Amino acid sequence: MNPMIRKELRQRMRDRRAWLLPSLYLLVLSATVVLSYYFSAKESSDPEFLRRTQGADVGTAFFLTAAYAQLAVLLLIAPVFSSGGLTIEKEQRTLSALLTSLLSPTQIWWGKLVTALLYQTLLLISALPILALAFAFGGVSPQMVGAVTGTTLLILTTISSVGLYCSSFFRRSVHATAVTYALVIGMMLMTAIASALFSAGTREFVQWPLYLNPFFTLTVSLSTEADHLRSWLISLSLFLALGSLAAVLAVRNISRSGESA
Amino acid sequence: MGLVGPNGAGKTTLIKILATLVQPDAGVVNIAGYDVRQAQRKVREIVGYLSDVPGLYQDMRVVEFLEFFADAYHVRGPRKAVVIEQALRIGGLTDRRKEFVEQLSLGFKQRLLLAKTLLHEPKVLLLDEPATGLDPLARIELRELLKQFNRNGGTILVSSHILSDLQDICDRVALIAAGRNAADPEGHSILVLNGQTGERITCEVEVLGEAQEASQAACAFAGVKILDRQGQSFLIEVAGGPAQVAALLRHLVGSGISVLRFDTRRSALEDRYRRAFGEGRR
Repeated sequence: MNPMIRKELRQRMRDRRAWLLPSLYLLVLSATVVLSYYFSAKESSDPEFLRRTQGADVGTAFFLTAAYAQLAVLLLIAPVFSSGGLTIEKEQRTLSALLTSLLSPTQIWWGKLVTALLYQTLLLISALPILALAFAFGGVSPQMVGAVTGTTLLILTTISSVGLYCSSFFRRSVHATAVTYALVIGMMLMTAIASALFSAGTREFVQWPLYLNPFFTLTVSLSTEADHLRSWLISLSLFLALGSLAAVLAVRNISRSGESA
Repeated sequence: MGLVGPNGAGKTTLIKILATLVQPDAGVVNIAGYDVRQAQRKVREIVGYLSDVPGLYQDMRVVEFLEFFADAYHVRGPRKAVVIEQALRIGGLTDRRKEFVEQLSLGFKQRLLLAKTLLHEPKVLLLDEPATGLDPLARIELRELLKQFNRNGGTILVSSHILSDLQDICDRVALIAAGRNAADPEGHSILVLNGQTGERITCEVEVLGEAQEASQAACAFAGVKILDRQGQSFLIEVAGGPAQVAALLRHLVGSGISVLRFDTRRSALEDRYRRAFGEGRR
């Protein structure tokens, strides 16, 4: 096992945040779906609405609420775990000891990425029972749960890789975290604004700026239409490419960071 | 070997180059025959590096910290446990193995860092200001540890502003200023210390009567240079090591000089440092 992973896991799980954050995460997610169900149930007291609504519709709405809420919360959490990974080593002056050991820059980067991802995967898995509640209403297949979980994990991997790149570039955690958040917000808002701007004045919906929008990627992952499947694959490829580029640049930065270590 | 020079001389940069942390702009740097640019991994295998502001993982236990670096240096199998026990013993940390690093005093933290540096049994130690912040007792212990490492065949390059420590542990001291070799007024860029052939020892001599006649007698002896003369005392520098100093004393007594006091100055390095980097020479 990569010694970095063992060290990082040991330190992370010793931290009070190790149990506090999953608890808060599940609380927020549960509150969101419960509220969503409460409002839809309130609406369903109308007999006409009840006549038209099937259990499958409730199940799908419940599932989508949980999936989007999960992605939103994890996008808020992901930069915290990745963008401080290398800056913390610079701040506590331990990077020089790592760089002069027999650990390669790739091993150092990999250790940091895997630890950040393992924690986020823990959050994803812990939320699976909440997503699975939708099965009780119907309208949701195990494939949909798989697609949502897989897509969310790939998006988080890319965000973590970008966060680690920022961490390798900046000296201080606060700067790396701020820039990572700016990039995540840019991916969510700027891509939507760009799509709206390009679509304005044309009859067609211009979706290519949305390929790097996490919510768009999640949306198309749930569709079975051929067009959406194509968009999903393009989107996943772009996320993969962005994550790989960030990884290469981060490893290069680590190997050159001896001067500031 | 010591490395001395004023602030900004390039001592830390030189040590970082040797430790493979910084790439040299030009020139060739070899450690035990390995080029630090081409054979970084080989160099890291034989070098133990301690930076000027070393960091520790405060939230790890002492033994966990050593285990991590043992893994990082690929010390595996049964050897790993042996090496960690040895490191704990060397650092005097056996009883504190379960303590968190943040609970240790500064002296013990420095011991832990040195124990970590010795984990992979390096042949060369690169130490940048290792005694900074240590109390006198911890400094003495550090010196003893380094002497023991040297006695076991290890080579040490140590940068320090504490010249008395360097005087105690180093055989030779290199002078460096503004990123280049520096030299004392006699043109020596490497000063030989502690009984080595070619060492220049400073002696303070007090005689009965005027120092004029005694200093002239001393000057007649090969390798002696008068540095200062006041009343009954004079300061001289003797080239050639302790044997030459003993011979000079016999010469003075044999010349009929009444020697009241004859001291070799332990702070000789300070004098030589002052002469190399004092006013007008920086």
